[in-house]
Amino acid sequence: MGFSTIIDILGSIIIGGILMSIAWRLSDAATEKTYNNGGELSLQQNLATVAQIIEWDFRKIGYCKDWNKLPDPSKAILYADTSSIKFLTDVDYDGALDSIYYYMGPTSELSETENPRDKILYRVVNDETPVQSNLGLTRFYMVYFDALGDSVSLPPDNYGLIASIEINVVVENVAAYNEKYSSAYWRQIRMVARNLKNR
Amino acid sequence: MGGKASLFVVAGFSLMFLVLANNFGTVSNRSIDNYVNYFTDATAHNIAISGANLAANEIYLDPTWEDGFSNLSFQGGEINVDVNVVDVYQNIREIVSTADYKGASDTVWVTLAPSKFSKFAYYSVNEGGNIWWTENDTVWGPFHTQDYMRAYRHPVFYGKATTKKKLVYYDSQKKDKPYFYGGFEQGIDLPLPTDGVDNIEPSADANGFKITGEDTVYITFDLDTLKYRFSYSDPDTAVYLPTVAPNGLIFAKNSIVRLKGVIQGQYSIVSSGSDWAGKGKIYIDDDIVFSQDPRIYPSSTDLFGIIAQNEVLITDNDANNDDINIHGSIYCENGGFGAENYNSRPVSGNINLLGGIIQDTRRAVGTFNSSGPASGFAKRYKYDNRLMVASPPMFPGTGSFEIVSWLE
Repeated sequence: MGFSTIIDILGSIIIGGILMSIAWRLSDAATEKTYNNGGELSLQQNLATVAQIIEWDFRKIGYCKDWNKLPDPSKAILYADTSSIKFLTDVDYDGALDSIYYYMGPTSELSETENPRDKILYRVVNDETPVQSNLGLTRFYMVYFDALGDSVSLPPDNYGLIASIEINVVVENVAAYNEKYSSAYWRQIRMVARNLKNR
Repeated sequence: MGGKASLFVVAGFSLMFLVLANNFGTVSNRSIDNYVNYFTDATAHNIAISGANLAANEIYLDPTWEDGFSNLSFQGGEINVDVNVVDVYQNIREIVSTADYKGASDTVWVTLAPSKFSKFAYYSVNEGGNIWWTENDTVWGPFHTQDYMRAYRHPVFYGKATTKKKLVYYDSQKKDKPYFYGGFEQGIDLPLPTDGVDNIEPSADANGFKITGEDTVYITFDLDTLKYRFSYSDPDTAVYLPTVAPNGLIFAKNSIVRLKGVIQGQYSIVSSGSDWAGKGKIYIDDDIVFSQDPRIYPSSTDLFGIIAQNEVLITDNDANNDDINIHGSIYCENGGFGAENYNSRPVSGNINLLGGIIQDTRRAVGTFNSSGPASGFAKRYKYDNRLMVASPPMFPGTGSFEIVSWLE
């Protein structure tokens, strides 16, 4: 085995090492991108789901199949602050008034998830057990506006002042590669529950 | 050998990139699908709402409209609208608007009921020149004026407030903006009919108690008995109301009504006649109240309509010089509700009204100076919340429907 052979072997080792290194980095980058892309897809789906749930319920503020039971729907909002709201509606369209209460739990409730900021969104119908969804919500924030479009100071003298609602939702991954969390933002600039304007 | 290895390396990397690209492409496609699905759902929903609004507008223009829409093209989708009469007796209608947009479908249900003027806590065509709603004024139920709505120092409106013209501030929005606890809209045209009283007369002929040919009718409600006479010194004639007025309507044609008593049941008193002849007026001579005040007896079914072709006045007499209590919804087709001799009568306490006032022209009930009331009454008006869902017999309607329920 001559000198040239040793050179060949060393060269092969170096080239092979470089190729291995490239393959390793490619694999790592591919794994990260796959994880992140999958996470962002999941994030987007979570956001759309949260938005649809919120829209579904909030559009029905003040609705009752038996409208005589809520003749003045402007009284439908029972409580409202920046991150929670309670209102009257008819959940199962049976003509009986129900209440729905939305609120966010503390971050400590989701200590088992990697994301330190995510919280549970609770939905409570009447006095039933709160239904919780962990969709990576990190922010559920509402701004209220009166009939003339001015923002309402909280707490208002009367919740009847509220004519429309700006809803802000921020969702993050519950877990992320190297803790690089992605976030997505949804804002309903003016949610006007149609029944609030009736009568 | 080196060439083969290179081929393997290139082929291996190509395979890896293909797998990755496929994976990323799938993720990207699903992401776009997700976005598109949300968009199509939202668009279908918005089209369904548009269909409901189009149908509501048709019904506003023509209350008998029941045609609906079939396969109406709208913003790239299609709308189908049905108008159903869900309660023939109460004439309750339902708009069902269904939209289809690129495979997504959504439906909106809107319930409409005939609208009566009795639902208003306050209604006026003319606000009487330059009268302002002030910080001392609170309206507890629905409000509408065809005139400007003038606000001075934050008046309070608990029901929905609407005006045909616009909201006018005495100084500025900051100093004068009203508190609207039931919503507010401008540009709402809701005229007072000119034949509201005339349209009631056939019902009086059919099943009501009708008095004709008398200049003045003195009427006292005594629970389910009506006592009446045609001059001050005559003895009363008593009739049993459920027998003489099964539909709850007491109609004095071309006459002046002088009114007091206690109502048990659901009745409307009507005075018709022309203003130039001094008829079509109702004078309230003393308290006219329910046998069961709904604020004390929530299950009370007593309702009362005071309907005048011209005006309703609180009589300037001894009985009314120390407060007056009025339970009922007052309707003045050509004039307004006020106090007789409001600026020369003694200070008379409060008008304790439980009900609503619907009038052509806002009128005064008293005067004030810097030290307080100078003559007449102070206003203590409370809305009877039952008027949101119930109405005194034959109370004039607006001629159209109102949306009472919206499901989307």
